[in-house]
Amino acid sequence: MTALQAPTELRPTSLEEVGRGPARVSRRRGPVRPGTRASAGGLIWLLPALAVLAVFVYWPLTQNILFSFLKWNIYSGEQTFVGGDNYVALAEDPIFWKALGNNVWYAVISIVFQVFGALVLAAIVESVRRERWRKALRAIYFIPSAISLTVAGLLFYFIYQPQTGLLNVFFDNLGLGQFSQAWLGHESTAIFAIIAMSQWQGFGYSVLLFSVALQRIPQELYEAAQIDGIGPVRRFFNVSLPLVREMTGLMMIVTISGAFQVFNEVMVMTSGGPNNSSQVLGTWLYHAGFVTNDFGSAAAIGVAIFVITLLLAAAQLAYSRKKRVEW
Amino acid sequence: MNPTRATTAIAATGILALALTACSASGGSADITAKPDFSGSLSILTAGAGDPMAPYFEGVVKDYQAEHPDLKITLAQETDDNAIKDKEKVLIGSQSLPDVYFTYAGNWGENFAVNGLAVDLSKQIAPGTEWGDSFGTAALDSFRYEGKYYGVPFYNDAKFMGYNKRIFSELGLEVPSTFDELISDCFTIKAAGQVPIAFGNKDGWPGLHYLGQLVAYNVPRDTIDADLAPKTARYDDPGYVTAMEQFQRLVTECTGDGSNSNGVTYTTAQQQQATGKAAMYYQELIEFDSVNTSDSQLNRDGFGIFQLPAPDGAKGDPGTLQGAPEGYMINAKSKNAPVALDFLKFLTNRENATTLSSPPYGQPSAVKGVVTEEVASPAVAEGAKLVDDAESSFAWLDMANVPEVADSWVAVSEGLVSGSLTPKAALAAVRAAAEKAK
Repeated sequence: MTALQAPTELRPTSLEEVGRGPARVSRRRGPVRPGTRASAGGLIWLLPALAVLAVFVYWPLTQNILFSFLKWNIYSGEQTFVGGDNYVALAEDPIFWKALGNNVWYAVISIVFQVFGALVLAAIVESVRRERWRKALRAIYFIPSAISLTVAGLLFYFIYQPQTGLLNVFFDNLGLGQFSQAWLGHESTAIFAIIAMSQWQGFGYSVLLFSVALQRIPQELYEAAQIDGIGPVRRFFNVSLPLVREMTGLMMIVTISGAFQVFNEVMVMTSGGPNNSSQVLGTWLYHAGFVTNDFGSAAAIGVAIFVITLLLAAAQLAYSRKKRVEW
Repeated sequence: MNPTRATTAIAATGILALALTACSASGGSADITAKPDFSGSLSILTAGAGDPMAPYFEGVVKDYQAEHPDLKITLAQETDDNAIKDKEKVLIGSQSLPDVYFTYAGNWGENFAVNGLAVDLSKQIAPGTEWGDSFGTAALDSFRYEGKYYGVPFYNDAKFMGYNKRIFSELGLEVPSTFDELISDCFTIKAAGQVPIAFGNKDGWPGLHYLGQLVAYNVPRDTIDADLAPKTARYDDPGYVTAMEQFQRLVTECTGDGSNSNGVTYTTAQQQQATGKAAMYYQELIEFDSVNTSDSQLNRDGFGIFQLPAPDGAKGDPGTLQGAPEGYMINAKSKNAPVALDFLKFLTNRENATTLSSPPYGQPSAVKGVVTEEVASPAVAEGAKLVDDAESSFAWLDMANVPEVADSWVAVSEGLVSGSLTPKAALAAVRAAAEKAK
């Protein structure tokens, strides 16, 4: 995934440089001055990508914003300009806020498990001495991420089944039958059951990315810390954590924006039910468009998702830049 | 976490939205009376994907193709309910509805009819025409909108309680004639360690089918009809609350999973009865031959049906039966509408109607006089007769209502099952949706 490749400035260019300790290494070619032939040539090469982006991203995005001010009959095609009515209706819709709240739960729990939990686990995996075991553990944790979300959703549907599902059977066999219930069938548990499945599915992917980030940290820093008598827990907090800050920031952005765009697992497992308790913004958008034929509202929900993820990503990027650590 | 998960929905909405900008409010209707050109093409969309119906349509298309070898036929099949609904909405948006397409009765079909998307077939299929007289009037009326006939009824459908004759016989039970008797039978069946009624409400609509029949029993028909139209809807009749209370009572006393039923799928419940593990299961007529297959335990035990019994003293119509036919329409912009019409006549000829009504398909054709015990399984034949004999019929709540209200009924059905909604709160939610739809 290109977006997640290590920034060049994090890579020591040689062991000697690492050995010299903190050093500024020239990482860029000389700047291309605007107006020169080189900059014009570069722009030409960028044009195809810009054209594709304009047609398939920015134009639909602009159109979607325009549609959010319309009300139309999908069957007759009749469109009426309604100003901000769709946004007002959205603000007054309790299920929209419920869906937004579920997305926030999704984001918070995903950050705990898929960012911080995954980082801790990656550090533990990378501290295993034998290379063979490290590889095996990475593969074991990554396997759920290789399963399609639809398949994982169906798998967990059976695990959560009230009478024959593995989870309830597990509780019953432990003598904890009072905890058995229809995990996807009750308003209070449905969204959390889906989030739990999602953590299981996405956890290994995060562990793998953090493992890669941790592998890039020069071993000498750990050795120096060890010589200074620093234990493994403090080494994690004082060496590993600061040096994977950029990857952590990136994972935060990916995780949070993913949490606000979640769709497949909810559709497969509950379709937003029961009684709309597990709706998220993505499924509520689908619902507005394809169930109640209100494509103006669906477009307004799309705009809301875009604004939320854009603001969160911008805030995260600003924070990560401020706290960037280089060596 | 994959950051592109919601792309499907957002992109589909965007594409549909873009396509809609080009939509026109009205379109010229295809000339249905022109001479068919069998050298052209014909596109068909059914709701029969999967077993047992996909092979049926493939067979019909193959036979029609044999009669018209120069005709290029494109057959697309989707599964019933959500898949076909989504597909048709996308096709409307992209202005690519096929020549012949599936439709439900009620508000779903009405949207096609009144918005210029379906051909007016009154001259071909209205009662009194040769083709029209091959169908029952009630079936034809299900697709009549603003006094015109737009749909070709394909099969009749209605909801019945299917029961296991062995379990009933071993426990000395008779078919219940009142709602209270049904509840009482549930106690007897439960006491014997059996599941009285298999029920899975993961999708919301199975509960809605109980609610629809109970509403029809408890609320006067005129009141229901007024409430179905957004402009006159009030949803304040106490019969709605009574129907919801009866539904909650049935879920609590009769189902194996009770308030957990929202976590169980409809097909899981279907299997419970097919394998003889549940005494009863509320099902559609078109499901009978899928549940009661020749190799099933239920078939060995004996399969019977009865209409959900009406409560004593109910204020609505105790003779009404919930159900509606499903059918096909012709695209008003079809370039080959006469061939589409010819195909639909072929699809509903006596031979094809007989095949449709026979096992393994078991779909009771809407063609009059076809569904007999010689042709159909005993249960399908009995169900079809009960449909014909019903004093009145009442369309599914989620099809009869406009989408916003239908959707609130689905959510309410789930809330009533889990117990998170009281009947009064549930009715208030439906009323609020009706207000919003005005």
